[in-house]
Amino acid sequence: MSNYTEGILILLMINGIAAMGVSLLTGFTGIFTLGHAAYLAIGSYTTAILTLDYGFHWLPAVILGGLLAMIVGYLVGLPTLKLMGDYYAIASIGLAESIRLIIENWQSVTNGARGIPGIDTFTTLPITAGFFVVMAYGAFCLINGRIGRAFKACRDDHVAASLLGFNTPRYRVLSLSISAFYVGIAGGLYAGFISFIQPIMFDMLKSTEMTSVVVFGGLGSMSGALLGTTIITLVTELFRPISQYRMLIYGLVLVLVMVFRPEGLLGRHEVGPALFRKLTRRVTPAPGERGPL
Amino acid sequence: MGTFIQQIINGLSLGSVYALIAVGYSLVYSILLFSNFAHGGFLVIGGYICYYTLNLMGTNIWVAGFAALVGAGFCAVLTERLAYKPIRERTSVTLYLLIASMGMSIVIENIFVIVAGGRFRALPPVIPTTPVDLFGLATTSAFDLLSLVAAVVFLGGLQLFLTRTKWGLAIRAAAYDLRVAGLMGVNVGRLISIVFFVAGLLAAVGGIFLSVRYTLYPQLGMITIKAFVAAVIGGLGSLPGAVVGSLILGLAEMLTAGFLSSQLRDLVVFSLLVITLIVRPSGLFGKDIKEKV
Amino acid sequence: MSLDETAVLSLSGVNKFFGGVHAVSEMTFTVEKGGLTGLIGPNGAGKTTIFNLITGVYPVNSGEILFKGQSVLSRKSHEIIHMGIARTFQNLRLFHRSTVLENVMTACQHHHPYGFVESLTHLGRWKKEEKVIRDRSLELLDRVGLADRADQDAGTLPYGHQRRLEIARALALEPELLLLDEPAAGMNPEEVFALNDLISAIHRDFDLTILVIEHHMDLVMEICPHIVCMNFGARIAEGGPEEIQNHPEVLKAYLGEEVVDE
Repeated sequence: MSNYTEGILILLMINGIAAMGVSLLTGFTGIFTLGHAAYLAIGSYTTAILTLDYGFHWLPAVILGGLLAMIVGYLVGLPTLKLMGDYYAIASIGLAESIRLIIENWQSVTNGARGIPGIDTFTTLPITAGFFVVMAYGAFCLINGRIGRAFKACRDDHVAASLLGFNTPRYRVLSLSISAFYVGIAGGLYAGFISFIQPIMFDMLKSTEMTSVVVFGGLGSMSGALLGTTIITLVTELFRPISQYRMLIYGLVLVLVMVFRPEGLLGRHEVGPALFRKLTRRVTPAPGERGPL
Repeated sequence: MGTFIQQIINGLSLGSVYALIAVGYSLVYSILLFSNFAHGGFLVIGGYICYYTLNLMGTNIWVAGFAALVGAGFCAVLTERLAYKPIRERTSVTLYLLIASMGMSIVIENIFVIVAGGRFRALPPVIPTTPVDLFGLATTSAFDLLSLVAAVVFLGGLQLFLTRTKWGLAIRAAAYDLRVAGLMGVNVGRLISIVFFVAGLLAAVGGIFLSVRYTLYPQLGMITIKAFVAAVIGGLGSLPGAVVGSLILGLAEMLTAGFLSSQLRDLVVFSLLVITLIVRPSGLFGKDIKEKV
Repeated sequence: MSLDETAVLSLSGVNKFFGGVHAVSEMTFTVEKGGLTGLIGPNGAGKTTIFNLITGVYPVNSGEILFKGQSVLSRKSHEIIHMGIARTFQNLRLFHRSTVLENVMTACQHHHPYGFVESLTHLGRWKKEEKVIRDRSLELLDRVGLADRADQDAGTLPYGHQRRLEIARALALEPELLLLDEPAAGMNPEEVFALNDLISAIHRDFDLTILVIEHHMDLVMEICPHIVCMNFGARIAEGGPEEIQNHPEVLKAYLGEEVVDE
């Protein structure tokens, strides 16, 4: 396999891990974020600083990066997740920009706007694949069970959810924490992939991109998020030679998807036997007899 | 003391420019209930129209300014017709509008990257920036005073339009309930076009002043994030709130820059946002969102 | 506060203001354990507000609400639900984008918990408990006559079926007190008839106390041995169906206009 292909595969899986994180929060819990680049930055910087300045092995560094992102997500979530709709979206922009500005101004630790070069390139294909498989397994397990149903309840009707006994603020914070952990891990792997990080890489445009791939794939579909990120990553690569048109096309795609297929590529269905059944069979046979009426 | 008064005037001047942008954004929000991220694009369009009419046609600022205002207004209407109308006619999910607006924002920005290039352009010296002595108390720039005056004139004009005209009344009615306004015989399509025209026009005024202050470049629209933050602090959909929020933000920025450090000003802005929302989740003047159970 | 052993729910002197509107005034009544109580009154009498106060959606301005002798005031909605109260909604609040079965499973899962790590890995109790949740939910769907619709999206069900699904979902919480908010709204007479049977059957089989809001008097008269009637936020009568039917205040509240018309 050529270096180029290998690089693309690694990038796909890193973006995939981040997309699953965003999908949990935005797609499954219904909290629209425009600031997830901050957690990517926290993961990247923690990994870079721990490996370069403190001589950590990359594995604990990446995991600590994810955990720190999770802790920040938890602390951020406690006061802000009571905000609804656009208020949270704008607040998340503010929080993410604050975190980026702190990184940019904390010269002694983060080297400021100039960034950190020379990070050990530990992110190889097998390592990324290992992380991807484990985290994808976790994400798919999570959505198929009690926590996934609780998230979806909060998303679809938070009043009904709390009147069905769910502590909705707690589930929203939980969702953000897990989401931040996924994105933090992706950030750590990303640092080890490109070996040079700078605060400007984690600006609002990055946050927008992270959320829009998930919307593109389908809100409420984990496999949709992966499909969305794969297509966008590949299209982005394809248009690299005409890079000035790349962002224009990207913007147009977003608008066109919203106009023609706002529910995203997969809607809220997962790729799997259920989707296949849905496509091939219209009427579901009755699993039991009718009730007493 | 001199510096303090000077920073207050600078703050009010910057805040008044934010107000022009924030009011348009809030106006659109009050009718359609979504955050129009393409609003920054309208500002950039206004800036570039002003730049090119001044440079290519050698006209004076009044003609160029008029062209910029009308041009940006029409582009805003066009954006609504092309990108938002098809979506709002199909669904009531405002999230789709928000994402389409992010797409439009990227599209507009990159059209200018491709057509005009990414470099920074200075507007010809059409707005005086000579120092003005304020009764011996402080010196400030004529530009700051002019932008303050312009903002007052345009916001006053908006106030007159909203309170004294038939369409102004219709817009205020639609801000309570767009659907009911439609049922009462208001032509909703035309009303939304007028709202977008006004929003684009006000953004262009802000755009011209911002391009004198910071020079003109395709990403200048990113500065609308500050105006969004101001509108959210004031309470989404509330026009007085948008003005108050903008002034608070302008003052906070300039006082931080004057007395602490200019690197911290953005951090102060975003902290202000987060603190306001923690204390008052729907902003200073926002309607308390209580759901009917 | 005097409280006899048999009262599951008791309201005493409850007041609620919305701005200047006195939505609930000095409301006092008790619901006996195992009873099937009707709460009736004309539109806008404040019936749903009573439910919202009981379930902690709005705070009470003054008065006391006790459930099994414990105050529900100052508790959050989800805590009140876990005390053993379940409710349905007048304006249907199903999870429209989830399947019928998932709607019930979402409520059912509280009684069959498993840990976070088990959710993340599907090891341990996950398989067993999920199966229990699914089977129990199907059983409840079968009970309300929706078993054959289990895999359909809840939002695509006909209106009457959505009301039944809400009842199944509430039952999945295994409550001691079930609050039904206008379960017959928007139903045709046949459906109302079937619903009457369903409510009576549930009451009989699930060892439940039920408080049902209706503004169709005939429905309540048929199934509820005990009825509370309210108007303008206040209780105007309480008693058995016959008593209520002949109560002058009730007649005035309900039939006032019609009497004048004659």
